[in-house]
Amino acid sequence: MKKVKIIAGISWAFLCLILIIILFPGLNSFSVSVSKLPFMKLNPRYTGGEIANQVISKSCTLDIRRPVFNGFLKERNSGFVQLDWHGTIPDMIKDSIDFDHDGNKDFCISINRKDSKTVLNPFNKKVKEVLISTPTSYGWAARVKLVN
Amino acid sequence: MDKVLESAGMKKSFGRSLLYTLPMFLITFMFMTGGKPNFSDPASALAMMTAFLLVNVLYFFMHYTGKTDRYRAVLFIIFALSLSYTLIHNMLEVRKSMSFSQADILECKIPFCHLVIPMMILPAAFTKSIIFPGSIIGGFANISSMVLLWLVATVVLGRGFCSWGCFYGGWDDGFSRIRKKPVIKKISELWRWMPFAVLIMVALTSALALMPTYCSWICPFKAVTEFEQVTSVESATKAGIFLSLFGGLVIALPVMTRKRTQCSFLCPMGAVNTLSNKITPFTLKIDKQACTECLKCVEVCPLYALTPEDVKAGKVSLFCSRCGKCVDACSKRAIHYGIRGIPAGTMKNFSRNLFLFVSFLFMAIFSAGSIISTFQGLFKFIF
Repeated sequence: MKKVKIIAGISWAFLCLILIIILFPGLNSFSVSVSKLPFMKLNPRYTGGEIANQVISKSCTLDIRRPVFNGFLKERNSGFVQLDWHGTIPDMIKDSIDFDHDGNKDFCISINRKDSKTVLNPFNKKVKEVLISTPTSYGWAARVKLVN
Repeated sequence: MDKVLESAGMKKSFGRSLLYTLPMFLITFMFMTGGKPNFSDPASALAMMTAFLLVNVLYFFMHYTGKTDRYRAVLFIIFALSLSYTLIHNMLEVRKSMSFSQADILECKIPFCHLVIPMMILPAAFTKSIIFPGSIIGGFANISSMVLLWLVATVVLGRGFCSWGCFYGGWDDGFSRIRKKPVIKKISELWRWMPFAVLIMVALTSALALMPTYCSWICPFKAVTEFEQVTSVESATKAGIFLSLFGGLVIALPVMTRKRTQCSFLCPMGAVNTLSNKITPFTLKIDKQACTECLKCVEVCPLYALTPEDVKAGKVSLFCSRCGKCVDACSKRAIHYGIRGIPAGTMKNFSRNLFLFVSFLFMAIFSAGSIISTFQGLFKFIF
């Protein structure tokens, strides 16, 4: 039994040595496999949610994302909807948004890109306030707080 | 002491030490140069050669002198400093600031570090998603690579990761070596359970808030990496907390106690790695027949991993990070590196050689990129 334990211990130690030696050269390909695991995707609270609708104008595109209410075990009472503007964006942004696709505009958002001043005009009780309004590498992004 | 090391086979002759260094020399050469050294940019070539020599000279001296912790600590501290330098340098070049903006969060551009992992587990299990604004694959410090690196390291090294792989540990390790004698000599060993309390707290709060609360509110190493832009009372409070913790647990207390207090009393990753100490094949063993119970090992242990009771029982606790400080301090070589299954007091030299090769190789390759980049910056500054 003592010998078996010694052999098992040494074998495990050598296996660990092999693991360390192959880890770094194989890091890129192993990482790709890890990234395919089912839980390896960013939570919508960070990505902003899937794109639900795109409004394409002459020079720029507005992505309206699906509202995010994700919680740990169940949906939360409050969440947000993220809007992303890409392309050549005018200095003054003014868009009316229908985030729940019921045919009625839910709010109007105006952004002055020069001073980052953002004004929200809600038409729906669920729309509360602007959480984030910021320039990004692709254009501009805003998050508007919603309640369920 | 030298005679004890020599008789135990730890201290080797010059030629024998060179022979033991040869595999490390070849492997690190392959990893650092990709097999094709490029001398077109003199500063990069010099930086690469300096890092390569540094790593191999330290490993050689581990064999030649029979001492472990002294040379491990040099690379470990350089790793911590160089990683912070590389990160800060990159951030200043790209963002002109050490702070990240709301846009960086929205675009998921925050570099991922292993300290987030304990907070990711519950949300990953229940929501099948990662609660961190980083990149899953591709780009600098992506989530997949860091998770994989940590997973392998923690299986192979257990809490040894905290002394051989963590790129923050070198900070409090470094500060704990500044004074020759501690000002505060006794801190209750009960505090070593504190990281488990922190782990439970941050794991639950992160799951409920769906955000990594330790990173947002506590992590003291934001002081030497990156932090949220101070734009509100909340962000100013966060900055106050992490700066106080860095000043207290990473600088002041390690200097006063000669212990790694941040790693011992706060780090939730330390708690996770403590649990993985059960898996790793490498351990520390106490040879009861050789031990005189002088308790020098208890005195020098930087992580409160040894108590007089542990020594009397001939067992090293799960808190051990295999830094080797106790091994170096033991004049009888009673405490030594071991492999699970091999009885204490036997195959000491074989176990040490195998452990050193595995753990040092991990640290050498893991740290190489940031050390080379730091030397490169240094040489460009000098010349």
